[in-house]
Amino acid sequence: MDFVLSQLVGFGGAFVALVVDPLTYVYLVTSVFLGITFGALPGLTATLAVTILTGFFGNKIPLDYSLIALLGAYVGAIYGGSYPSILLNIPGTAASAATAMDGHPLAKAGRGGEALGLTTTASFIGTLIGTVALLIFVWVLLLVSKNIASPEKALLALFGILLSGTLMSEDLVIKGWIAGLIGLAMAMVGMDPLLSEPRYTFGWSYMLSGFQVVPVLMGAFAVPQIIEGLRHVEAGKMIALQGRILPNLAAVRRHLPTITRSGVIGTGVGALPGVGEDVAGWVSYGVGKTVSPDGKNFGKGSLEGLLSSETANNACIGGALIPLLVLGIPGSPPAAALMGAFKINNVIPGPTIDPNIILRVVAIMVLASFTMWILGLFTARIFIKILRIPQTVFLPVVMVLTAIGSFSVGGGINDLYLMLGVGVVAYFMNLMKYPIAPLVIGVILGGLFDETFRRSLFLSDGDLGVFVSRPGAAILLTLNVALISAQIPALRRAFANLRRKEA
Amino acid sequence: MELKFAKLMSVAAVVTGLAGGALAQDYPYRDITTAVVWGAGGGTDTINRMIMAEMEKHLPVSINVTNQTGGVAGSNGMVYVMNQPDDGYTLVGLSESNVTAAVQGGWDKKFDYWYPFIVGGSPDLISVPANSPYATLEELVDAAKAAPGTIPAAASGAGSIHHLNLLAIQNGSGAEFKFVPYKGSAPGQEAAIAGEVALVVTSLAEQAALIEGGQLKPLAMLTPDSVEIAGMTVPSAFDSYDGLDKYLPLKQAIGFAVHNSASDDIKAKLGAAFEKAIAGEAVAEWAAANNYDVGGQYGEEASKIFATLEANFAYTLQELGAATVDPASLGIEKP
Repeated sequence: MDFVLSQLVGFGGAFVALVVDPLTYVYLVTSVFLGITFGALPGLTATLAVTILTGFFGNKIPLDYSLIALLGAYVGAIYGGSYPSILLNIPGTAASAATAMDGHPLAKAGRGGEALGLTTTASFIGTLIGTVALLIFVWVLLLVSKNIASPEKALLALFGILLSGTLMSEDLVIKGWIAGLIGLAMAMVGMDPLLSEPRYTFGWSYMLSGFQVVPVLMGAFAVPQIIEGLRHVEAGKMIALQGRILPNLAAVRRHLPTITRSGVIGTGVGALPGVGEDVAGWVSYGVGKTVSPDGKNFGKGSLEGLLSSETANNACIGGALIPLLVLGIPGSPPAAALMGAFKINNVIPGPTIDPNIILRVVAIMVLASFTMWILGLFTARIFIKILRIPQTVFLPVVMVLTAIGSFSVGGGINDLYLMLGVGVVAYFMNLMKYPIAPLVIGVILGGLFDETFRRSLFLSDGDLGVFVSRPGAAILLTLNVALISAQIPALRRAFANLRRKEA
Repeated sequence: MELKFAKLMSVAAVVTGLAGGALAQDYPYRDITTAVVWGAGGGTDTINRMIMAEMEKHLPVSINVTNQTGGVAGSNGMVYVMNQPDDGYTLVGLSESNVTAAVQGGWDKKFDYWYPFIVGGSPDLISVPANSPYATLEELVDAAKAAPGTIPAAASGAGSIHHLNLLAIQNGSGAEFKFVPYKGSAPGQEAAIAGEVALVVTSLAEQAALIEGGQLKPLAMLTPDSVEIAGMTVPSAFDSYDGLDKYLPLKQAIGFAVHNSASDDIKAKLGAAFEKAIAGEAVAEWAAANNYDVGGQYGEEASKIFATLEANFAYTLQELGAATVDPASLGIEKP
């Protein structure tokens, strides 16, 4: 009890410190606005918003403020994606793809204002649910994390890469894994963390520091989006907004069970390493469809359906931050960008992270969700106007921002070449339907995997038994094996047979 | 009359112009930039932002602190500053870890390329997990002697200042540990708390929060003086092992530098501001709060410290097989 109380006091302190600092609002309002804009413009994603801001603010302003900017943009962008989903039937971000299923029919039926009002409130509540979960579970995990040593970290990193590959693939799971392995291979480049030997640098000193996270992120997430956006301009037909955008508290109260359930699902999915808001939205939508009494109307303009996906994708944010802060394993692609921001500030997320940073993150999340709610209710018309900006105008602007962001973190021209190289490769991978997120997760977690896997073996004098003898490691190893074997055709058939026999 | 007045004016203009020109030549007349070679928020960055803010008070201009990170052992930032004119308007913020840039192939200059100013550093100490069976350094060393090369020890990356300290305590006490490298001090300390390694050697500044939180148990300072922290006295390892002073102390040296080729006037001006800043209350307060020892050496004295560190680091890295460039070829003498 004392512990909970001291946490609340700590949180209160961090919150007050933020509230009384006028600079907080400058960063907060700007970044949430920017985030919503990014989310609302089809082709620009939450990951991109966080990445570009990392490039700009990552190491230029104190970490405290850059966290406000990054988290504000993250929260805003996930929410902003609902505008085009509802009004254009084009998801602004992958995260709100499930929102379009019910949001667009609602708008067509002339209930666009009601839908937007509800998604705004649902996103707000969702973010808060995720944030509360973050505040609680981060401490639970911190207690457990003392038992997390190299073998567990190695298996957890591998699990993150595999899981991201499994869930992010459009068609074949193996493609996700291939993308993850490419990322893992990229992470091997540079100075070996154990023996301080250069690897795959080809005598080029730039490569000694390895592939820099920010240019890789920019290349992987921004460049393909921009090329794709300029090649295929999506001109959805905008449905004129009818009805006022109001929070409609009565409707919120009526759908509270749905909102709560979706918030919990979203947080849970977010906490899984490397799986992001889009998966959270779909999973929650799927669950809602099965359990909700309104399930048969999903896809035809059901408010329940709309709330299922829109609450979950925002709740996912808090969830995604849990493994990021405690284990240094990002729970979603935008969290991977946040991790990059931590790293360039020399803050290593992990069990020994300064608890004040966690409290601050929670306080920022609460403020950001309030800001998002207020901006969503009062300035929605502006975002709808922004939706009318043609892609051919804003995508080149984004390209310039991306280039500046990439360049400004390290200040080297090579970072730009790296960004373009990764971008072109990522573009063609996109064309061949290879998911990009596992590649980035691979780059970020690959280094951790390599380092901890080899260190485990070094400590055990080469005995692979360490991955079985430690209870935590054994569980994680089982999960990894299960994840892989679930995709082997022969095993799958065997399972299907077994199930049939049982039935 | 009119003409005469115009003449007078022009003469006056020329005179004031000249005077202004002469004034403008006085260093410093425009803002100074300090490029820190390590990331924002790290030790070197924090120290530089602190000392630059203090030095500003004793200089007629402001000092901007930026970060130029990356490369090998901070070589990006050093190369960047090297390529700026040696007019004292671009300083480089650095630490003892940068002395390895040359032998690791990051650039091709000896450290005497710089004219260094040392603000300070945090002393290294040897700590064990809170639930460790070892209560004193002697117990730990005896255990290591009984089973050489089996007790795992964390000390950041191979060739880091902490690794050198670990090697020094091995040489001085005759114990042999199993060195397990970590990417930086924080992961190594985490590993000690998780029980993955039996001991960790990092700096007091880095361990302070963990010692105060009861997660690490400090055994001995690797400096001649004992230290008071969290209500206990951490004894000096020098009291336990006589031969240690041959190898230790190897201390962090964090600060900044200007091109050695800069003029004597620039060095003197910076030195004067540095001396005043170091003597100030703010620096002392900051050092006490963050467990740093204030250095205050600059110029020749600081160069000597860096030269010793450079030689030590270079030849240790070569022995470890981690040096890509032979230190002898750079003119670094064996310590």
